[in-house]
Amino acid sequence: MQQSKRWAWLKSWEALMFIILCAVVVANLRLSEHYLDLNNLANIFHLSIEKSLVVLIMAFVIINGEIDLSVASVMGLSATVLAERYDAGWPIAAGFALALCVGILCGLLNGLFSAYMGIPSLIVTLAGLIGYRGVARILLEDRSVGDFPSWFTSLGQDGIIGPFPLTIFVFIALFILGFVILQYSVFGRYVYAIGNNRAAAEYAGINAKQVKVTIFMASGLIAALAGAFYAARLGNVRANAAEGFELDIITIVLLGGVSIFGGTGTMIGVGLSLLVVLNLRNGMSLSNVDGNTQTSVIGLLLILSVLVPNLIQLLQRLLPRLFSVIAGFMNKGGATKPKSQVSVHQ
Amino acid sequence: MRKLQLLLVALVLLTLTAGLVRAQDPEPIKAEPGVELNMVLLPKTLGNAVFDEAHEGAIEAHEELENPGELIFNAPTPDNAIPGQIEIIEASITQEVDAIMISANDYEQLVPSTTKAMEQDITIVTWDSPVSPEGEELFIAQVDFTETGTVMADMALSILGEDGGQFAILSATPDASNQNAWIEAMQAALEADEKYANLELVDIVYGNDDPDDSYNEALGLVDSYPDLELIMAPTTVGIAAAAKAMQDEELCGEVAVSGLGLPSEMQEFIENGCAQEFALWSFKDLGYLTYYVSYLLASGAMEAEEGVVFEAGRMGTYTIEADPNREDGLRVLMGPFSVYNADNLEEWAAGGDEEGEPEVEATEEAN
Repeated sequence: MQQSKRWAWLKSWEALMFIILCAVVVANLRLSEHYLDLNNLANIFHLSIEKSLVVLIMAFVIINGEIDLSVASVMGLSATVLAERYDAGWPIAAGFALALCVGILCGLLNGLFSAYMGIPSLIVTLAGLIGYRGVARILLEDRSVGDFPSWFTSLGQDGIIGPFPLTIFVFIALFILGFVILQYSVFGRYVYAIGNNRAAAEYAGINAKQVKVTIFMASGLIAALAGAFYAARLGNVRANAAEGFELDIITIVLLGGVSIFGGTGTMIGVGLSLLVVLNLRNGMSLSNVDGNTQTSVIGLLLILSVLVPNLIQLLQRLLPRLFSVIAGFMNKGGATKPKSQVSVHQ
Repeated sequence: MRKLQLLLVALVLLTLTAGLVRAQDPEPIKAEPGVELNMVLLPKTLGNAVFDEAHEGAIEAHEELENPGELIFNAPTPDNAIPGQIEIIEASITQEVDAIMISANDYEQLVPSTTKAMEQDITIVTWDSPVSPEGEELFIAQVDFTETGTVMADMALSILGEDGGQFAILSATPDASNQNAWIEAMQAALEADEKYANLELVDIVYGNDDPDDSYNEALGLVDSYPDLELIMAPTTVGIAAAAKAMQDEELCGEVAVSGLGLPSEMQEFIENGCAQEFALWSFKDLGYLTYYVSYLLASGAMEAEEGVVFEAGRMGTYTIEADPNREDGLRVLMGPFSVYNADNLEEWAAGGDEEGEPEVEATEEAN
């Protein structure tokens, strides 16, 4: 009993991710001499920092039992609003503030339609994915807007401590904040409770609608922030900014052990899965693996990480029976009957 | 003593005249084979036949120059075009390669990364599609952009005839900088000359360089404009999809298809009359020339400066010149166009892929 309890964590998703992460890191160390270069370590995070930020809030959304497909379009819209206003003569800080407000507004709309009007968030945010991108295209058409002031682009491009830019520290701060809220606050417990069973949570007096709208608004805000960071990193904005990012973001969250049906998953799991995906991509890039193969490998990883635990469970159930059958065969020749059923279940 | 003086004078004179001759007729810079350089060929996306041809050309030059280093060919997937190119550039910087040859998915957004690469002494040469001049050393232009417009206008004229008729353009994406520049150049060419007066451009649609989208857009054009006589597609994906659409709808001959196409993909459509005429430059040559220029720059044999003359193997001598389309930009102009149709079908189809494209009806090089 003692023994099995002590090793129980090994069966957890986090442990699985941790083992995969170790394997990826070892492989990268062997494949590339440049993996540990400080610049490369910064690049691992820097080149995907916008997606990483949105992954944090997407974990909340999915654990809460919802989905937000509109995040990449909100990122694009935020970058576009910022650029369009800058082009119209506003100071960049004002455009930045407006972009964040637009993000919150997008989230509010998503939340109102799904939580209060009862339309599934899959549909509401799919409409958002199309609609918000459409607004971005109306604003910028085919134009590209750039020439931002250097203090703004350096936010996204230049290191503030060594080669690590500010955006990475913003991510770390938000990760800690997200971890504390989700795992240790009352709000975090509400998120899980609603994701597990919304009706039961409401009977228990939790205002599910309010929680959901809050999360969707936070999702819009973080996506808008990420969109502004994207503009700063690339130094230039087109209406198609961040297009297609939502699938990568959702993949990382699911790989982190968050159930698509809500209610389960942890911030640590999501953080580990993020590290796995970023390091895997970086290692493949350094080995000049082409984009198609990279995408396939990530897809395979997602499938395997869902399959393997299920397979292990299945084997755990089947193996004892299999053993007893084999034992039965072995003993058929002899006179003695099998003394007892093999009992493995504890 | 006198003899010695004479000899000295003669020697001085000789070196002086030699110097003079040099200055008048600069010897083209030649590449010294065998320098070890790791080079990355980074096209826009994977899975586009023209970029594989460019790769072939680069491999040819790589072997010819006996570079013991690596020639890495890598590109992003179409759905991750710009961030993917940035990732590959950053990974190349980390790997401390010597040169990156880029066909850019965006004119501005790659610049922070390419500038960073140049700060680390990595040679950045663009080809097919450039970036803003501050982010590159020079651009290998396949053909002059204004010439593309004239070539397309002339093909439209030769298909529709003096009496003219309606035609539509099927382009790549709305923000594809090459296609937009060519379409603009074509519109300018149409307005500039009376002989094009009867050619009526009714619509510009976008197939996103996706075979299915382009196919559907081509069918949409036929449905929307019953009098349409020609679809002009300045993209290799678009022209093949349009020809396929006409073939499937049995409209070959009723609606003509023309534009920029790849001979290997267009041969069957020229043969069965579903496409009439198309033009293109050789992507293999483009890859070859790009490699030569990058090798010369990265090995330090050449500087990227206006007026520098160099030799690019089998393709001959080229000059680095100011880019007339981009302020402060430098370019090497490859040119010219080859025009392909049923009349010269045997010449270009017989040779297969191995032979270089014949320069039949090649239009004169611009400027």
